[in-house]
Amino acid sequence: MAKSNLKKTFLTPLGKDNPVFVQILGICSTLAVTNKLDNTLVMTLGVMFTTALSSWTISLLRNWIPSRVRMMVETLVIATYVIIVDIALKAYYPEMWKQLGPYVGLIITNCIVMGRIEAFALQNKPLPSLIDGLASGMGYAYVLLIIAFFRELLGTGTLWGYQVLGSWWTSWAIMIMPPGGFFMLAIFIWIVRENFIKEETNE
Amino acid sequence: MKTQSFYAKRIQPIVFMAVVTIICIILTAALHLYTYDQVKENEQFFVWRSVLDSAAISHDGTPSDVVKLFDQYVTEDGDMYVVNTPEHGRRFVLEQTGPGLWGPITVMIGFEDDKTTLSGVSIVSQTETPGLGARIEEPWFTAQFAGKKGPSFKLVEEGTASQPKEIDSITGATRTSDAFKSIIEKAFVLAGGL
Repeated sequence: MAKSNLKKTFLTPLGKDNPVFVQILGICSTLAVTNKLDNTLVMTLGVMFTTALSSWTISLLRNWIPSRVRMMVETLVIATYVIIVDIALKAYYPEMWKQLGPYVGLIITNCIVMGRIEAFALQNKPLPSLIDGLASGMGYAYVLLIIAFFRELLGTGTLWGYQVLGSWWTSWAIMIMPPGGFFMLAIFIWIVRENFIKEETNE
Repeated sequence: MKTQSFYAKRIQPIVFMAVVTIICIILTAALHLYTYDQVKENEQFFVWRSVLDSAAISHDGTPSDVVKLFDQYVTEDGDMYVVNTPEHGRRFVLEQTGPGLWGPITVMIGFEDDKTTLSGVSIVSQTETPGLGARIEEPWFTAQFAGKKGPSFKLVEEGTASQPKEIDSITGATRTSDAFKSIIEKAFVLAGGL
């Protein structure tokens, strides 16, 4: 029973309860960092790290946190993990840190992180919370990578910085600007919802 | 509904919050101190690499090579770096900051000994639009400045610059191109006064 529950906890955020295309959370960073694949990968790894470990930590503390300071503790824990990511990037991957600029710090305000803590980690044991956080981060990650794939390809004709489309290709500059993010995200959500998600018909 | 004791209601949240805060601070501060030297080294590496790039000194991009070449050829003279190499003679490098479209752009600008010919430029930091203005960091854009003669330039359509005073602008980033041009021109004024 416990096993199948863990599996369900892991799979739901990847599919039918995906944070991006079902819950429509984390849109700010979805629009901001998806113009290149390598930015997106590092950003999503940071989010995965943060959601997983902050859910786990809050779940460990859940029986001791006084409810009136609950959100302050959550924010503090999230911020700590995000700063760890930020410092680690700054020290060991400075080129990427320069490119991502303020967006690493903005993981703190990513609704997915606090959303999972409030909705899941406060009521569940540490291990399921860790898995739930990690899976939510992964659900976020693959959606962003798909969007980044199309934005980078159409916007610059490259993938991972390598030229894949020939010189005949005219880059669509709009794809790498914020509006391109809106278009790609909307198209993606449309396609996924139309084809893969069974909507509840009764209102 | 059970009433909470004074302790549970008032004291415990404060104590709990304080303890969590202290733990978090200790963690991040420790990590900061642990990586401090590395971060400083990175910052210096970026600046030094820019100096070498703008003076058109070739290097293999590794920190050790950059540090070695910098120690060997570069001396700092006030705000200016003097780069002296046997094959290129004397070159000057100035750091210049100016407003871009979104935020400041900081550029290292290298001059030949005559102070009217550019040996190269290299971006230290910028916050322009990714994919548009941020393309000032791309090699094709910075490379075109080598050998151009100042002190004033003319922006032409991307890919059409052919004269010593013409610069390719970036399509879709007119304001960034303008800003970049004026930063370079300002550097000539400064360099002339040295």
